Amino acid sequence: MKSIIGKVTLCATALLGTMAFAGSAAAQDYPNRPVELIVTFGPGGGADLMGRTMAQLMEESLGVAIPVSNVGGASGNAGLTQLRTNPADGYTIGTLISLTVASWASGLGDNKPEDFRVISVVQSSPSFLFVPTSGPHQTAEALFDFAKANPGAITVATSGYGTQDDVTLKLLSNAGIQMENVPFQAPAERYASPIGGHTSAIYEEPGDVAQFIAAGQLAPVVVFAKERHSEFPDVPTSAELGIDISGLDNYRSIAVAAGTSDEIVAKLEAAVATATASDEWKAFCAKTYTCITPVTGDAAQAMVSDFRDLIAAQLAN
Amino acid sequence: MSALELLGGGFLAAFELWAFLTIVTGLLIGVVAGALPGISFVNAMAMALPFTYVMEPTQSMLFLGGIYVGGVFGGSISAILINVPGTPASLPATWDGYPMTKRGEAKRALTIAVTASATGGLVSALMLAFLSAPFASFALKFSQPEFFAATVLGLVSVIAIAKDQPVITMVSLLLGIVVGTVGVDPLYGQARFSFGIPEMESGIRFVVVMIGLFAIGEVVDLLATNRDLRPKKADGKAVGARLKDILYVKGAILRGTGIGCMIGLIPGAGATPGAVIAYGIEKQVSKRGDKFGTGIEEGLAAPEAAKNATTGAAMVPLLTLGIPGSAATAIMLAAMMLQGVNPGPLLFIMDPSMVYTIFAAMIIANVLMIGAGIGVAQMFSTLMRTPPAILAAFIIVLSVIGAYGVRNNIFDVYVCLAFGVLGWGMKRVGFPSAPLVLGVILGPLAERYFLTSLANSRQDWTVFFTRPISATILCLALVFILWSLAPGLKTLFLRRRS
Repeated sequence: MKSIIGKVTLCATALLGTMAFAGSAAAQDYPNRPVELIVTFGPGGGADLMGRTMAQLMEESLGVAIPVSNVGGASGNAGLTQLRTNPADGYTIGTLISLTVASWASGLGDNKPEDFRVISVVQSSPSFLFVPTSGPHQTAEALFDFAKANPGAITVATSGYGTQDDVTLKLLSNAGIQMENVPFQAPAERYASPIGGHTSAIYEEPGDVAQFIAAGQLAPVVVFAKERHSEFPDVPTSAELGIDISGLDNYRSIAVAAGTSDEIVAKLEAAVATATASDEWKAFCAKTYTCITPVTGDAAQAMVSDFRDLIAAQLAN
Repeated sequence: MSALELLGGGFLAAFELWAFLTIVTGLLIGVVAGALPGISFVNAMAMALPFTYVMEPTQSMLFLGGIYVGGVFGGSISAILINVPGTPASLPATWDGYPMTKRGEAKRALTIAVTASATGGLVSALMLAFLSAPFASFALKFSQPEFFAATVLGLVSVIAIAKDQPVITMVSLLLGIVVGTVGVDPLYGQARFSFGIPEMESGIRFVVVMIGLFAIGEVVDLLATNRDLRPKKADGKAVGARLKDILYVKGAILRGTGIGCMIGLIPGAGATPGAVIAYGIEKQVSKRGDKFGTGIEEGLAAPEAAKNATTGAAMVPLLTLGIPGSAATAIMLAAMMLQGVNPGPLLFIMDPSMVYTIFAAMIIANVLMIGAGIGVAQMFSTLMRTPPAILAAFIIVLSVIGAYGVRNNIFDVYVCLAFGVLGWGMKRVGFPSAPLVLGVILGPLAERYFLTSLANSRQDWTVFFTRPISATILCLALVFILWSLAPGLKTLFLRRRS
């Protein structure tokens, strides 16, 4: 029976955590009760790992518990709607990732960049095209040449239409390399499809497929970035192959609702900075190939709104 | 080292005091959580996730594996005793298990259920231990068209539930599929039937619908009809099932186990389609198929065996490929990655002792489940003696928490309550609600697999028939339809001739 009581207590805590308490705690003694961290995707994905690692590390410097709740759905918009509509008192923080920002550009959800205050962009990674090592095209040149000769014959597993994956394929198509976009909503199915030989390639960031690269099942052939990736120095950039595609990096940030006071934002920013400076975080981001110098303040805010505009412009083409 | 030696080492590790206690604790949490209406084993695993931070990687997997195995069975306890499935996979247990309870054979039903579940789980765990490698490559042969075909087979099995009202059953199923389309479509990001309500864009979750229709609907009915839940005494079968009862359903258990192992291997399927398909096939195979739904032992044993047989099978793609096949295994993946362990082919090379300890733990958990299952079932049958009003209050509270816990959203609670009222109404007029739930579960899956299959084949719909595995499964579905419609068609044909 102990376990039932434990679970019920846990649920009750989660319930209370999201409830708005009457009266706002003064910013000076923030935080004096648990801070809820909303992960805007289900358990097991990149956003979830980032959120949970961050929560663990921020607990130390903030000195309060940071329970994580997964509020998935609608490309992350369900969780963000909750973040936006909860009181802007710093007791609800959330993950905001580029995939969700791209979804705004394609008209999904009713969230806007102005609805949020980005505390810090903590992870970022360019995306690659990976091919199965058992497949016929082992270099980007071979893959692209085949696609040019046989428009639409190459299939690429992506995370969906209207995402940066889609935009990249559209830009390639404009350059004469027409490949078919095959959206897989479930990441597991997306990874399994090229390995099983059902699609010719997959568009992904290296951290999400690290175990398949290590096992020799997937091989990177091209990176969509200004420069070569330090972990994969042999993989050419798309610009080297004649098609300059960059600025579509997949990034993840911690955000709060707009209207949160500057003092609270400063405290959260400091806590995130302490977390990202820790050895645990460095090991985590190195393993997922997502280490960056955290971007904060207006620069972080601009990153989100510029990205939305960029994707919107590309989709309108 | 051979697999047998490694497994021996795994058993030694799993029988160490702390490891063993971890498995037992997980198992008990799983059975209790599974049996509580409204809280599924997936909820329990998600809630247990933060506790695994402090554990060793292997220990965390033993804990979650225990919850998984116990939880998949636990749902059947409440399904059999009070007609409220504790988890979606236990839905078929209400069809033949609850009628047995009504006959005063609750104990016998529970014994058959736990034996079937443990057998299915055990075979599946052994398969995981010895056949992981070949089966992993088999799972990779499945792509979107095959997933679609398997989902269609699941939808078609619903005809098996239709006792003598196929039309109403189909209406209910289609209604469920319509409910499943609410929200943003899986491929194009188009919002459907959301009426401008932001929460509706994330869709209506099947767990919420199930809790509403079954838990809340059942409780309202319980209070409205003032039914007595107390187990009937003096039915002379208080000892539970005898060995000959189990031997009588061994065929059903074996068939269910086989189906569960196959379905579990397919990433994306899982316990619920496994149990439903097993029930449908058993109805066709069994000599007493036409009496299914009135408390027939085979109708209980087959889906019970199948749903637990998916547990070990679903861990094959997780451990060998790093690809989780269900919500439960996705949580296990999260736990492993948070510990810095990447499942996949390398895990077998880098840390075989961990892998084989997990295998051993799955085997042990399934054996221990017989004891845990019967123990918790005893506790629950004691609960049945509490006045219905008190029980009802508890179920409603748990349902609300469960609906909220699906994705921590209060909107889901309102949806759940609305479906509760609907469920009660449906029960009153005799409109079947189970096909509706299956429609909500399988409809969105079928849609997603269908659209992705087309996107991957230049919108060529013949892809479903030109791929051998997909074509075979679809043929099976067709045979299934003809088989279940055969009696009706026969009379129609004979009438024509005369």
